[in-house]
Amino acid sequence: MVLLKNLHPPTEGVRHEQAETTAVLDGQRLGCGTLYVAETRLSWFDSSGLGFSLEYPSIGLHAISRDVSAYPQEHLYVMVNGKLNKNEAEMAEKAADDDDDGSSDGGDDDEDEGAITEIRFVPSDKAALESMFSAMCECQALHPDPEDDDSDNDFEGEEYDVEEAEAEHGHADIPTFYTCDEGLSALTQEGQATLERLEGMLAESVAQQYHMAGVRTEETKAEFEDGMEVDTAAMEAGQFEDADVEH
Amino acid sequence: LYYELSTEIFITYYRSFMFMNVCVSLLSICGTLHSVDQYLNIKLTDISVTDPEKYPHMLSVKNCFIRGSVVRYVQLPADEVDTQLLQDAARKEAMQQKQ
Repeated sequence: MVLLKNLHPPTEGVRHEQAETTAVLDGQRLGCGTLYVAETRLSWFDSSGLGFSLEYPSIGLHAISRDVSAYPQEHLYVMVNGKLNKNEAEMAEKAADDDDDGSSDGGDDDEDEGAITEIRFVPSDKAALESMFSAMCECQALHPDPEDDDSDNDFEGEEYDVEEAEAEHGHADIPTFYTCDEGLSALTQEGQATLERLEGMLAESVAQQYHMAGVRTEETKAEFEDGMEVDTAAMEAGQFEDADVEH
Repeated sequence: LYYELSTEIFITYYRSFMFMNVCVSLLSICGTLHSVDQYLNIKLTDISVTDPEKYPHMLSVKNCFIRGSVVRYVQLPADEVDTQLLQDAARKEAMQQKQ
């Protein structure tokens, strides 16, 4: 499920580490500790070894909260799917060997109800919030939903920034977005480059015609992950190593 | 009345979807689309929460990152979207899938 009873904070693939960070779980202060935004999971541990970890697929959203009239301190807000039992969080230090399957007994029946857990990470250094937020965004992108049947991987892994695109292309009228051949001549230079890149990716797959929806096999899935601006070799190596560690 | 859009069409025409209402489980978040990636992870700015009584803490958040897999559906303002264009694109896509 969501809560992993790890004894140790992650040592590899830590994108951001923030000490002197208070964790507040559903309004309950857990104390002051260190937040680890690692590629494999999000963890928080205090100095005595108590803490908790979260799997990224269970984190529905995260955000920076700066409105002190709503909550007295600026913090990183994290919404987790399902209910976390705070007692489990405090008892993470006493993780028994039979918990290595990674599942906790909290909130199994809550998923369908849409129950959530709100967690706040309040760093003493408010300037670190942007880095914490960005690190979480990056790590979230490393854990896409594997059950997705849609051919989401048709596109390169870059993030499509609406504001950026508008600044470059202007707020173009909708009819200028073409997906069929007749519109190719209307593409901008960047659009042509994108098209060539996409067609190159499509050419490596089975389909011959230019189309937006395709059925992707598992092999080509890995190809498209290469399009992400991540050092995939390092990422994959890190993933495998971590799998070994957990056993 | 609602339309189902494939991921490809959504990503293709995302630039026209400036304002949207994102439904995440029991929570509905309205905001301006900042960016979207291939997994439909969504970054929204200037957000407001539809059920502030239930989730009062969300009101203090301006910008957020929403994981694509938890998004139930996304509402787009009908009058700001060229539904004819989207229908054409969806139709083309469906025809190509048949082949």
